[in-house]
Amino acid sequence: MNKLHKIVFVSILVSIGLGLSVLESSIPLPIAMPGARLGLSNMVVLVTIVVFGFKDGLKVSALKSIVLMLVTGSVSSFMYSISGAILSCIMMYIAYKYMSKIFSLIGVSIIGAVAHNFAQVSVASLVMKNLRIYSYLPFLMLIGLFTGYFVGLASIYIVKNLKKNISAVFERF
Amino acid sequence: MTKGDKLLIVFIVLISFSLMGYFKMQAFSDDDKYVSIQVNGEEIKRFIFDSKLIGQTIPIETKYGYNLIEIGDEKVRVIEADCPDKIDVKQGYISNIGETIVCLPNRLIIEIKGIDSNMEVDIIVR
Repeated sequence: MNKLHKIVFVSILVSIGLGLSVLESSIPLPIAMPGARLGLSNMVVLVTIVVFGFKDGLKVSALKSIVLMLVTGSVSSFMYSISGAILSCIMMYIAYKYMSKIFSLIGVSIIGAVAHNFAQVSVASLVMKNLRIYSYLPFLMLIGLFTGYFVGLASIYIVKNLKKNISAVFERF
Repeated sequence: MTKGDKLLIVFIVLISFSLMGYFKMQAFSDDDKYVSIQVNGEEIKRFIFDSKLIGQTIPIETKYGYNLIEIGDEKVRVIEADCPDKIDVKQGYISNIGETIVCLPNRLIIEIKGIDSNMEVDIIVR
């Protein structure tokens, strides 16, 4: 796999993540809670970390947040999304690299979801200068458990098939 | 799913419930309550619930955005907002001490607080 292949692949992953983010923003959630989301694009970041490594995972998650800001036009939610993206990426990498014997991708994804919530709530309470925002954290963590579980489950299947296909594709070059 | 995953799930459930209990306990109080409206960390309005205020609306217009707050019978809610997700509108009424309505894009927090004995509260009557 040379450098160009990698750039193309990372760009495709960013655009998939972006598409999922835009898609999930049009899916209404039954619970009205600031910061609660499905986290479908977390799937892309997790798969990137597993298949390409930490650096590309960080690139994909940061780029996705930046381009999402340009697409939706909401600069204020950019702070929350990028802090969550970076912390969850770092935590998922640590969990995947050093604790993959203990956790499957489901566990890694749940850790990522909770880290995402924690970073978002922390930034929100810093911006608003109000510690009360932390009272949303337990609810967000419980929602993150469910969404993280299914994101992890989906990632297991994606990684299984992608690893096979990617090696098949790159052998041809 | 491995054993570690299951342990992690149990661990997170335990943490969230204990945090919920902690915030609930902190907020528990029979004292008089007042509503505090904050934008970007600064309190811009505070009022106590009053029967004269039922049905009144308070427009909050700042450089971060616009929200319209409606006061009900011992409860308060946001009925209009210009933020994209409208989560603050969907949240509905809040009435207990410690409850908050948050509008992240507009940096607005509506919080119900208990009254300390040495505090002054304005009542808005129009």
